[in-house]
Amino acid sequence: MIAIKTFDYNPGEHETERASNSYLMSLIALMGGLPLPIINLIATLVFYLGNRTSTYFVRWHCTQALISQFSLLLINSVGFWWTVSIIFDEEVLTNQFIAYIITLLLFNIAEFIATIYTAINTRNGKHVEWYFYGTVTNLICKP
Amino acid sequence: MNKAFAQGGVIIGVFIIILWVSNQINWMELLKVDKVTQDTEEKLGDILWDVFRKAEREIKDKEAINLLDSVLLRICTANNIDRSNLKLHLLDKDEINAFALPGGHLVIFSGLITACENSDELAGVIAHEVAHITENHVAKKLAKEIGFGVVTSIAGGTAGAEIIKEAARVLSSSAFDRAIEKDADIKAVDYLVEAKIATKPFADFLYKRSLDDDDLMNYISWISTHPNPEERAQYILEYGSTKSFDPTPSLSESAWAQLEGSIGD
Repeated sequence: MIAIKTFDYNPGEHETERASNSYLMSLIALMGGLPLPIINLIATLVFYLGNRTSTYFVRWHCTQALISQFSLLLINSVGFWWTVSIIFDEEVLTNQFIAYIITLLLFNIAEFIATIYTAINTRNGKHVEWYFYGTVTNLICKP
Repeated sequence: MNKAFAQGGVIIGVFIIILWVSNQINWMELLKVDKVTQDTEEKLGDILWDVFRKAEREIKDKEAINLLDSVLLRICTANNIDRSNLKLHLLDKDEINAFALPGGHLVIFSGLITACENSDELAGVIAHEVAHITENHVAKKLAKEIGFGVVTSIAGGTAGAEIIKEAARVLSSSAFDRAIEKDADIKAVDYLVEAKIATKPFADFLYKRSLDDDDLMNYISWISTHPNPEERAQYILEYGSTKSFDPTPSLSESAWAQLEGSIGD
C-alpha cells in the first residue's frame, strides 16, 4: 500500500523538512481538532496553499498529504454526524453503527501509521508514494 | 487515469468488506450495550427521582395509586409494554404536570388529576408520557439540554447537587422538541386506541387548557412548556378520527370519583 520510489531528483535538506511537515501538520491538527473531522483537512489545505510555489518535491508531498485527508474527511464526517444524531436526535445505537465506528477507527489508525511512516521517510529524503493517493498526486502534480 | 479509478475502487471495496465483516459480529451483545444503557438510565432515573421525592410529598394512598395503576396497566397490556419497567409516582402538588424520568419513572402531580374532567383525559396524558419513555426521548432530551458529559457524570455519581437539580428541572418543566412532542402525541393516540380508550378527551383536555388565562398558564407546566395546545388538540382529533373502535372508559365513574376524592383528602 505504501512504496518508496525514486524521485525525479534528490531533494535538499530544506525540501525534505517542508515535505515531512505537510504530513505532521495533519497529525497535529488531527489530535488538536478531534472530534471535528474537518480540522485536519483545513490544516493540510493551508499548508498546501502556502507551498504552491515551492519545489516539485515539496508540492508533491503537500498534495499527497492533502488528498489523503479527503477520504478520511468523508468517513469521519459520516461517523461524526451519525454519533451526534444518536446522542441528541432520534437515531438509536445499533450494531451497524458500532460496525461503522470500528471500520472508521481501523482506517484512521492505518492512516495515522502511514502518515508517521511517510513523515519520517520523507524527512530522510525518501520519496514515499501511497497506493491510490500517490497515483492521483502524480496526475495532479507536475514538475 | 484508469489506474487511479481502479485503485480508488479497490480502497472503496476494502472499506465495504471491512464494514461488512464487522457488521457480522453482534457487537450489541458482545459489548452488553443494552444492559449498560439500561443500568445507566436506571441509575440516572433513581438519582433524579430522589430530587422530587425529597422536595415534594409523595402520595402513597393505596387506593389512589391502584386506580392510577389500573389505567397505566390497561395501556401497557394493550400495547405489549412491560408494566414492570415503569415506576409510577404520585406527588402532592397543585401544578398541572406529569413527566417522565430516565429509567421508566413516570411522575404525576395531583394537580393534573384535579384538572382532568374524566379519567380518559388523564389516560391521554399518561399515554403521552409512556410514549416518551418507550420512544427513549427522556435521556436524549437530557443529553441535548444539559450535555452528554453532564448526564454521564450524574449517572456516574460525580455530579454536584446543583447539576442534578438542574437536570430534574429540565425534565419536569420543559418540553421536548416540537417533532418529538408530536411523535409522543401520535404514539399516545395509538396506545389509547389499542387500549380502547377514547382519544377525544385527550384532545379536549389540551383544548381546554389553551383557553386558560395567562396567569393560570403559569401553573400549568405540562401545557405552557409544550407546543401550542390548540394545534396539538387538532392533530390528535384528526389522527384519532381515522381510528374506528368502541371505547370504554378507562375508569368507571365511581372509580374516578374515588380517585378525585383520595387526591382531595
